[in-house]
Amino acid sequence: MNQNPKMIGTSPKRVDVREKVTGTARYGEDLRMAGMLYAKVKHAEYPHAKILSVKTARAEKLKGVAAVVTAADVPGNPAFGAIIIDNQPIAGDKVRYLGDAVAVVAAETEAIAEKAVNLIKVKYKELPGLFDPRESLKPDAPLIHEGGNLIVHHKTRRGDIAAGFADADRVIERSYSVQRVDHAYIEPEVVVAYFEPDGTLVVKGSHQSIFNIRSAVAGVMGLPLSKVRIVQASLGGSFGGKDDCMSVLGCRAGILALKTGRPVMLSNSREDSLVESYKRHPYFMDYKVGVKDDGTITAMEIKMVADGGAYASMTQFVTWRSVVHATGPYRVPHVKTDVYGVYTNNTYTGAFRGFGSPQITFAYESLMDEIAEQLGMEPLQFRRMNILHDNDITATGQKLDHTVSVGQALDVTTKAAGWEAKRKKFPEENAGRIIKHGIGLACSYRGVALGAEGVDATGAIVRIHPDGSVDLTTALVEMGQGLKTVFSQIAAAELGLPIGRIQYRKTDTSIIIDGGPTVASRSTIMGGSAVKKAAIGAREKLCQVVAVKLGVVPEDLIARDEKIMVKDDPARSVSFLDAVALALDAGLSLSSFGWHVSPPIWWDEEEGKGDAYFTYVYGCQIAEVEVDPETGKVNVIEVWAAHDVGKAINPDTVRGQICGGVATAIGYGLLEDVEMVDGVTKTMNLDEYLIPTAMDVGKINAIILENYDKYGPYGAKCIAEPTAELCAPAIANAVYHATGKRIRDLPLNLERIVLGHKLVKKKRRVR
Amino acid sequence: MIPFTLIRAESLQQALDFLSREGSNAKIIAGGTDLMVELRDLSPDAKGPDTILDITPVDEIRGIKDDGGTITVGALTPHREISTSPIILQAAPLLASACSTVGATQHRNIATIGGNVINGSPAADSVPALIALNAEAVFQSKSGERVSLLKDIYLKPYQTDIKDDEILTAIRFPHLPDGARSSYIKLGRRNALAISRMNVAVVLVIKDGKITEARISPGSTMPTPDRITVAEEIMIGEEPGEELFRRAGKAVSDEMINRSGRRWSTPYKEPVIAALTTRALWVAASEGV
Amino acid sequence: MKKLKLNITVNGISHTLRIAPNLRLLDLLREELHLTGTKEGCGIGECGACTVILDGRAVNSCLILAGQCEGREITTIEGVTPEDGLNPLQQSFLDNGAVQCGFCTPGMILSATALLHHNSTPTEAEIREAISGNLCRCTGYTQIVEAIQAVADGSKE
Repeated sequence: MNQNPKMIGTSPKRVDVREKVTGTARYGEDLRMAGMLYAKVKHAEYPHAKILSVKTARAEKLKGVAAVVTAADVPGNPAFGAIIIDNQPIAGDKVRYLGDAVAVVAAETEAIAEKAVNLIKVKYKELPGLFDPRESLKPDAPLIHEGGNLIVHHKTRRGDIAAGFADADRVIERSYSVQRVDHAYIEPEVVVAYFEPDGTLVVKGSHQSIFNIRSAVAGVMGLPLSKVRIVQASLGGSFGGKDDCMSVLGCRAGILALKTGRPVMLSNSREDSLVESYKRHPYFMDYKVGVKDDGTITAMEIKMVADGGAYASMTQFVTWRSVVHATGPYRVPHVKTDVYGVYTNNTYTGAFRGFGSPQITFAYESLMDEIAEQLGMEPLQFRRMNILHDNDITATGQKLDHTVSVGQALDVTTKAAGWEAKRKKFPEENAGRIIKHGIGLACSYRGVALGAEGVDATGAIVRIHPDGSVDLTTALVEMGQGLKTVFSQIAAAELGLPIGRIQYRKTDTSIIIDGGPTVASRSTIMGGSAVKKAAIGAREKLCQVVAVKLGVVPEDLIARDEKIMVKDDPARSVSFLDAVALALDAGLSLSSFGWHVSPPIWWDEEEGKGDAYFTYVYGCQIAEVEVDPETGKVNVIEVWAAHDVGKAINPDTVRGQICGGVATAIGYGLLEDVEMVDGVTKTMNLDEYLIPTAMDVGKINAIILENYDKYGPYGAKCIAEPTAELCAPAIANAVYHATGKRIRDLPLNLERIVLGHKLVKKKRRVR
Repeated sequence: MIPFTLIRAESLQQALDFLSREGSNAKIIAGGTDLMVELRDLSPDAKGPDTILDITPVDEIRGIKDDGGTITVGALTPHREISTSPIILQAAPLLASACSTVGATQHRNIATIGGNVINGSPAADSVPALIALNAEAVFQSKSGERVSLLKDIYLKPYQTDIKDDEILTAIRFPHLPDGARSSYIKLGRRNALAISRMNVAVVLVIKDGKITEARISPGSTMPTPDRITVAEEIMIGEEPGEELFRRAGKAVSDEMINRSGRRWSTPYKEPVIAALTTRALWVAASEGV
Repeated sequence: MKKLKLNITVNGISHTLRIAPNLRLLDLLREELHLTGTKEGCGIGECGACTVILDGRAVNSCLILAGQCEGREITTIEGVTPEDGLNPLQQSFLDNGAVQCGFCTPGMILSATALLHHNSTPTEAEIREAISGNLCRCTGYTQIVEAIQAVADGSKE
């Protein structure tokens, strides 16, 4: 029972904002240590080449240079990786993409380090490069790694695909592709590494997944996990992006710290970030759908190729999420999905908000509109015929035993947007106008948390101090999403305290056990549950002693308004502070650890089926656009975004996540593209890699739907990632509505809208 | 960043004196929004300018004057000042419009029109408007003043004929004819912080329902900026109209191909510059007084 | 490189410093004066994280040489923060959910400060234009615009 309803579902001010608005928050680059050196990387000069020799003597002799390290200086394992151990922080045998490091320099200043980098001479034997993932599995494709170019193949199988197509009145085939995009957090990656006197390596910096990073750094440094401490500085945005690439930075700086005995800062410029750090997987997607004339979908056969780039990173997990969700939130009795993640010599790809969903939603939601048109049906009508409902079975054979609210999301969003009227009105009005008006929608479902792809468990510690102040620690990190605030709310709610009494301890791997990464939109449902458990555990100790004092049983007591009081007789109470004193007098420990494990789920990799996630969320977004067909410019006038979050613990932060996710998807849909030609990144800074400005994002109407989920704290599920997976297809569908032009590749930039295809510059830009 | 000496010029004379001696190894900094990016791009061992000459204190070449016949814009005038100037808004609104689109607020506060002109980017935002205004560039050096039609200073992309000992001190242009209408359209990939994918400035004079004068200057279309006289001539003596403006637009895109050849970007640029020109002519004809 | 003598006022305090001629204003603030509230996001003036106020106008400090600021007045985020508490814009950002990761926030607040100084009753379009040089990847700008509008509306009373 929620003892403090006022704390949950309201929006207390975020607890971490004061330092951010005053400029006192300390981000990675703000860290300064006595004797600190600055590191710079000598990057690969070919996207695929054997390293024959690395000459560092001249660089080492430069005045002000403290050390130059190469692969020979790696004390532990040469590589790390989540599943495939293939990511080398300093390349030894060969370079596999232009972001690889061949040597790293530490010097008294960045300027000296840069000069030293230029003095390092490397001899290569160039190897043929592989840049198109559709070529990766051909027999004569260059081999990126020893074991072949296939990183992973996932499948989903349901029913009998041949029978499914036989059952159809028509079969529609379409292919879609999506581009490589960058997280473009405003803060580029940075670490400061140093050794404590006891031999513990500390790596501070812009970390997202601190335990993944610890694992990687420990392995490469040849240290036990207990001797590596990963400490998060204030994080200037991440969106999934500061994981493996931070491990890489941590290893490089760690090796230099080991060699020099001094703290080392390795700070990426924006160019370094755009070239080196992992991106979102480009996908090529082929869909074949069987439908009856009445609009019922009978079968889907789907094949996808994901460009994993030079290292596997999270490819296995990203593509697994895609294989589970590839059919969309629809009833499809016969399914055959195959998703292949492959290596190339492009920048490697990994986690980015959405994690395999923005790609597929662009495909299947564009496809739904295309099929509807073939059948002479309205897009909304066609979707309503096929969407999943309570207790339906998904493509992976899972029964959905919670409120399946995709229909509700469609209803609410279309009503709010004035959908019906605009669908009719705009084409009529467009006849006499140059600028065309259009409106389009997209809906999705999304499995919450890690799913059957891994063990999903996390912990929290609540400690009540003798003076009644409380601190809260979890294994999950604040990256701007509001985690500190929401977790503080939960602790405050369970302890009956105002939120200001909860001190959220910034997390680091030495103060709490590994609780998994802050990914998969798992923080509220998993971390929040752990916080709740920990807080309740602490409260129970207080109730235990107060019960004795008041002569009641603990079950009669609740914590509220800084008191422990009898539920049915609030006048009988003990103040929180007195309760603490009583507990301490009784020798009780007021440190409480909460551990939360996800409900059981499973996946059969051979059969391609399973209960992939323990719960799902549903959403719908509608985009109203203006398209100038003569120039290709698209303006997003207004967006309506409805998301079922189970319970909005803090509605303001939920709204913030929705608006942010929509803006990210506007960039994905219209502007962003990390262009690579023959392994060379052409978009080197934010003047060429374009994300939306305040003048590129129109009005965003965030609509929160709440369908209580039994697995979440107070019924809460998640918000972060579903928000970023819908606006791009909504825009594509709106562009079609406006112009009659169907474009099946992202981004819908100026040239694609005018010409229907991408324009490729023939010349390369030299770095 | 590469090392250099930084010298502040407290007056135009001081600046010119310096340039007459050391101009060949020096670069001028004003707003810095182009130069700083260039300097950052240089490898630390690269050979760059020995000296950077900071002319921001030279107030005498900042500001907008109107003597009734000619409007003179000091080269050091920032875009924000130009885009909000009552003189420019009244007498040369296409220039105000162009300057209001440069980068974002932060750029417009310090980037100067002189810098925009001398940087010589084919995508410069202000240049087509200035060319459509028949602007002149005024250079000063220790040896005196040199005036040139603005379009004639451009040798190739990113290169003007400015001499090592010269400073661009002003851009000036005559008042538009009575009743002239003008417009400026910029197409960028996004609505701020955007390079001109293409832009176009036009001026029309319409008397008794017929076009008596036309000026068209497109940007991001040719190696060096210019007025497209072949397109302008089509319209003289004709009534404004859809078909006429389309022909003029096509003439602009044809001339672009004539001068630049067919390139990787032509399939996009050809129809779009034609469309932008047509549109700019419409806007000028119907509203742009 | 011979050092340059520089007289500069930052947040109301006058400094006389000896600096390298090629030092950016951004680095003078962060390294010499240890005012780390101003951030570097791209180095080429395309993100606005380095925004400061120079003689009353918002500028990108990564594009200005410190030596160009002789005799001039710079205001950073530290300079608009009162001794105790928050100024109205900062408070409004807090109240209106306008801050997520916070990296763009100092620049945003300074752009907004400069805007409201010159135009105390901006329209939404004017607000969006004023912050169009400040990229944000977290918020989608909606709540930032609301926070600035709230201060503008408040000052009307």
